[in-house]
Amino acid sequence: MTNYIPTIGIEVHVELKTNTKIFSPAKNGYGMGANTLTNVVDLGYPGVLPTVNKEVIHQAIRAALLLNCKIRNKMHFDRKNYFYPDNPKNYQITQNKTPIAYDGYVEIDVDGQKKKIEIEEMHIEEDTCKSTHRQKVSLLDFNRAGVPLIEIVTKPCISSPEEAKLYIEKLREILLYGEISDCKMEEGSMRCDANISLRKNKEDPLGVKVEIKNIGSIGNVKLSLEKEMQRQEKLLDEQISFQEQTRRYDDKLGDTVLMRVKETGNDYRYFPEPDIPTLHIPDSWIDSVSKEIPRTADERRKTYISLGISPVNADKIILNKNISDYLENYLDTNLDFVIASNLLLGDIAFYLNKHFQTIEDTKLTKEKFICFVEKIKDHTLSSRNVKDILEDVLEKEDSIDEIIKKNNISNISDDQYIESIVDKVLENNEESIRDYLNGHDRAFKFLMGQMMKESKGSINPQLASEMLSKKLQNLTIDS
Amino acid sequence: MSKYLDRSILEIHELLKQKKITPKDLVMEALKRIEESEEYNAYITLDAENALKQAEELEKLEVDHLLFGIPIAIKDNIVTQGLRTTCASRILENFIPIYDATVVEKLKEKHMIIIGKTNMDEFAMGSSSRTSYFQAPKNAWNKGKIAGGSSGGSATTISLRNVPFALGTDTGGSIRQPASYCGIVGMKPTYGRVSRYGLVAFASSLDQIGPMTKNVYENALLLNAIVGMDEKDLTSVEKAEEDFTRNIGKDIRGMRIAVPNYFMSDIVNKEIKSKVEEILSLLEKCGAKVDYIDIPYLEHAVTLYQIIAMGEASSNLARFDGIRYGHSKENPKDIDDLYYGTREEGFGEEVKRRIMVGSYLLSGKNAKEYYEKALSIRDDMQKAFLNVFEDYDLVLGPTTTTCAYDLEDPMDNPSKSFLDDVLVIPVNMAGLPGLSLPIGFSKDHMPIGLHIIGNLFEEAKIYQLASFLEKKLNLDLDPKGGEGRD
Repeated sequence: MTNYIPTIGIEVHVELKTNTKIFSPAKNGYGMGANTLTNVVDLGYPGVLPTVNKEVIHQAIRAALLLNCKIRNKMHFDRKNYFYPDNPKNYQITQNKTPIAYDGYVEIDVDGQKKKIEIEEMHIEEDTCKSTHRQKVSLLDFNRAGVPLIEIVTKPCISSPEEAKLYIEKLREILLYGEISDCKMEEGSMRCDANISLRKNKEDPLGVKVEIKNIGSIGNVKLSLEKEMQRQEKLLDEQISFQEQTRRYDDKLGDTVLMRVKETGNDYRYFPEPDIPTLHIPDSWIDSVSKEIPRTADERRKTYISLGISPVNADKIILNKNISDYLENYLDTNLDFVIASNLLLGDIAFYLNKHFQTIEDTKLTKEKFICFVEKIKDHTLSSRNVKDILEDVLEKEDSIDEIIKKNNISNISDDQYIESIVDKVLENNEESIRDYLNGHDRAFKFLMGQMMKESKGSINPQLASEMLSKKLQNLTIDS
Repeated sequence: MSKYLDRSILEIHELLKQKKITPKDLVMEALKRIEESEEYNAYITLDAENALKQAEELEKLEVDHLLFGIPIAIKDNIVTQGLRTTCASRILENFIPIYDATVVEKLKEKHMIIIGKTNMDEFAMGSSSRTSYFQAPKNAWNKGKIAGGSSGGSATTISLRNVPFALGTDTGGSIRQPASYCGIVGMKPTYGRVSRYGLVAFASSLDQIGPMTKNVYENALLLNAIVGMDEKDLTSVEKAEEDFTRNIGKDIRGMRIAVPNYFMSDIVNKEIKSKVEEILSLLEKCGAKVDYIDIPYLEHAVTLYQIIAMGEASSNLARFDGIRYGHSKENPKDIDDLYYGTREEGFGEEVKRRIMVGSYLLSGKNAKEYYEKALSIRDDMQKAFLNVFEDYDLVLGPTTTTCAYDLEDPMDNPSKSFLDDVLVIPVNMAGLPGLSLPIGFSKDHMPIGLHIIGNLFEEAKIYQLASFLEKKLNLDLDPKGGEGRD
């Protein structure tokens, strides 16, 4: 329906996972009591000076490498001057003139086609403090003040809301697996602003730019851009002109809302930060960082597929970094990765979600997990058994064998025993056999139930079901 | 009471060591002298109680070095934990810092006793200390004259012989100019020599803390105590430890001295010029080689300084917004009212003027046209000086163009205060060390200072020449002639 071409550019702020803040020795943490992770530097106290946390530069270099950027060997910081209560010094230390990295790209997959989303630049800066507005007062929490950020700016080369979403997903995956950040949009450790303008033809000049600020989730990236497109299309169709402006996406309203119309030339009075001398990044530093880049999501995905895991499951594993990291420990074993991945994504993931745990919180040692998968593979454990004993497996120190024993799971895959049960049940339920042969599927379930009852639930249901169906089939042929 | 504080630091140290006196005697005497000279308005805050307490505690300790137990005054833009630090501004009138500046930590480690915080121009912006919210200090040589600034209180308390040591800060001459006006020794060390951590920033790329004392030796001694790379200040520089007194007493024969023609041009008062010429011929007589030379850019230093200092100041002073500390407008209507009201009420005229001009200089295209251009010419200026030091040991001239003027002189010409500093500012611009040494008096008995400028990190050479002259001249630098006290 649309006759307009969108041009989209995206700015992403990512909080770096460092021990301490960027310009002070205060701890970098989330979810602590208000103003417990601060010191005089974060408060913009008179007389204080910034120091530069090397860890931040180190991680920024890693991020730059992961985003295929060029890295500047010589850079400085700048002051961005503006008054705002969340800005303790009333200037923010950032990089205006010499962003640490530039000219990179992120490759996304659009309907089977590869597309490079170009990165204009990536710079380092400090986060502001967090303000909470109550009826009559505003509260400031300086825990976030001075948390290191990198800001990643794309060129205006994104051509649909879907692409924007794919870019954010990919970017998140890259930064998460590069151990740059935990990239939690809900907690604000990854924040996204998008610029969008519409035009009729590719040859036309770019339309009026609208910025959507602080998009709170990956889903909303696409949604908000779609809504904004519809809004602008309507205005353009009706030939209503509008100004450059900043909007936000309102979740409840399901639409973008005007925040402010852009005033001409916001004057931040940038100048080089005199308290921080020029920083030199020798190639040797970049080289050493490049050697310690963790296995990327793409590399892991490829490995999983080569181990027989389905592409869908491989993607699902990548979406859960804890699971992926866990699986990395088994790459040198001859684990059945299909069973293992089903287990991890199925019962185990379900259990962990339900109990708000991660796999590291459990007692599932390497040896135990291998044994667990082994027992499923050789039918010692049925899927029913797995569900029954999962809590013990994850929470108890006991070995798999001990757990099987304690839960009285035995002989269940003994073919002869199962056959004897099948025979016994078939002997005693002629009527059900007739029903089955007359096409009543319920009879099969009934017979299975009888078998479980007869065996006190100890037989492998899968094997039992196979055996039963074979025997019934034979009966069909006989009659 | 004995006049211990008129004695040299070596004598005082001997007395302390032999337990003939205690640090408490020194603190009591200092407090008494400060009280007697209260009208000079050298202090904004005294810390009598703590100083006495600390002095008593020191009695248990061994007197292990020259600065042990000696009272010191600190300029009020250097933060002191638990001791009010106002920057001579209403906006910090009741500000009690929760941490110590690095230099203050160093002094405390040496068991020096902080007696109080000295008066100054508001946020060090001025050159007569008359922009102080707490009224200007007076010149010890003539109560009707200015002490100079911005470290006017520190200069006054030293020349009054209240305490042997004081710290000042120098962004555009603020240690050397008042030192010259007050007849004391003031050193601005090389930029990066002394940590700025805890110095409330005026112009970050120019500010430097330095010692102010009654003689050269004691000046070098105090410098020994405050220098050093500081992890908290990335602009501080790592240097091998050195004793700045090491060249004191050495001959200056063969020393090559350059005198920039600009420093001896008509901008300088005749009396001062001829006094400096006297000194130069004395030096020549003593075997130094003196050449008059041209150094480019000197005449532009003040303009460049104004751009850089005011630009940086406008940003540095943005943090005083009434939210976290300091003065805060009562019952503001909204956040803008809080900002405007707090800063309107809290800052004085000169500070406001500089913030406005500085903001203008950094706004839009101006940042490139003014600030960045000034930074680049500053680099050239430093190179020009470094070139001179290829051939010369020291650069000499007068510290000021005139002697201290009347306190009542009008303040209606804001650029005058910069012109007062035309000779001292180039040193800050080039990051060099510079010292003002008293070399005599004008007809109406106001002190005249000689400006001795050294190459980067060559403070020891400056002290060598300064001490040589000090000894040769043997001036009586006590405004009361050593006789006026009981």
